[in-house]
Amino acid sequence: MTASRDPDRLIRAFLDEGLTELPDRAYDAVRADIDRTRQRVVIGPWREPRMNNIAKLAIAAAAVVAVAVVGINLMPSGGGTVGTGSPSPSSRPSPSPSASPSPSPQPSPSPWPSLPPEPTPQAGAFPAEGRLATERYTFSQSGIPFSLEVTTPDWISSGVMVAPDGGTLTKNEATPQKVWMLLWSIDGVYADPCGQVPAPPVSPSAADLAAAVASIPGYDVVTPPTDVTVGGLPAKHVAVKLREDIGCSPSQFFMWYDNVRCGSAAPCHRWANAPGRQINDVWIVEVDGKHIWIEAETFDTATAETVQEVQQMINSVQFE
Amino acid sequence: MQRALVDRAKRGDGEAFDALARSVGDRCMAIACRILRDADLAEDAVQTALITAWRELRTLRDPDRFEPWLHRILTNACYAEARRRRRWSADIRVIPVEGTYGPDETLTVHDRDQLERAFRRLTFEQRAVLVFHHYLGLPVSEVADRLDIPLGTVKSRLHYAMTALRASLEADDRTPSISQERMA
Repeated sequence: MTASRDPDRLIRAFLDEGLTELPDRAYDAVRADIDRTRQRVVIGPWREPRMNNIAKLAIAAAAVVAVAVVGINLMPSGGGTVGTGSPSPSSRPSPSPSASPSPSPQPSPSPWPSLPPEPTPQAGAFPAEGRLATERYTFSQSGIPFSLEVTTPDWISSGVMVAPDGGTLTKNEATPQKVWMLLWSIDGVYADPCGQVPAPPVSPSAADLAAAVASIPGYDVVTPPTDVTVGGLPAKHVAVKLREDIGCSPSQFFMWYDNVRCGSAAPCHRWANAPGRQINDVWIVEVDGKHIWIEAETFDTATAETVQEVQQMINSVQFE
Repeated sequence: MQRALVDRAKRGDGEAFDALARSVGDRCMAIACRILRDADLAEDAVQTALITAWRELRTLRDPDRFEPWLHRILTNACYAEARRRRRWSADIRVIPVEGTYGPDETLTVHDRDQLERAFRRLTFEQRAVLVFHHYLGLPVSEVADRLDIPLGTVKSRLHYAMTALRASLEADDRTPSISQERMA
């Protein structure tokens, strides 16, 4: 051997050797496979949908027409109220007489006081995407019809889930006051969120689901499972905060899943967003052996106004 | 361009994904070949990785990070392919290198043989780090990010792998009449 031999250079030369082309048959096989393979639906952080001007005008026009139609329909009855515009004074948060305290101890009281639902009977279909008007929208989660009122402006339907099966609402994206709300149902949580190993499905009981949420590794319980009332029905509320040291990137940290919507081979699952800052509040309502799952994701920087805004939405839920 | 294809593919556009796959497939093949040292295994791993990428594409948050994300999937596919095949046969075929020799005349057939044998004694995890750092030329921090492992792990694997490969060449210097036994 000569003194000019450089082992590292030889190693790099060795690594440079070899095939560098994928045969066409591999591309063809992939193409054939993806035509048969459904993409996994993932519910996670999303962005405000980009709307072109035509879409904005169309939505604005539709809103004007809707308001006009509702107004005309209500005029003859006189004195009728329409569930649009700013929230009524009664929706301000205050200690709720309807909330049933949990029998379990509550080391940190819930920031989500429960209020009785408001009587706002007018309801429209929840749009797949776009900015939402301040009005009542209908859903039919797991075949359970209910409605929810968007009480303040600037909420957006993100289109991740489309009513009547569910809905996703976002507001204040990319700010400390960001809120995401999801209306859907889930089957279970992840036993190993970073390993993406799901725990077995949980019964539809609100108590079991709330307990499962409180048990997810990587989370600290902010509010333990607590008895509350949503839409006049008994429900559970639980709040958890994602720890800073979750052990993997947030997008790899899976929280809970829904087998029904996507099929058990490819469950929809929720992933994490902001370790150390993200708070997930979940309300679970049991109805006829099924459940409605309503969740709100906020940062720990959420102001009392933001918290109140979400609570107003929860308080507005009505079951038919 | 790639970002636009990713965006379209995320919305379920198979044509866009096909174009995307063709834009990154060769590089994936090169990586897989070097980790697995077997063209057939590498082809299977790339195919698996691309199909997984399609299925999981909606979990990709940043479309600009498609290729790093794909490389992580590919590396895992390589590990899985290696484990799966090892159950069937301990005899991994040698990657065909005829026709690709000789860009660097300092690498003799004997060097290559020594390096090949030393390389095959590395774990697949060590090989992956070596390929991403020395073949793709990524800094160790990017290798850590791409493989989703701690920086210290990258450094230790790299250190071990390079030490082993250097040792194989140095041993060759000391004992030039090394056995030409068939590689496992």
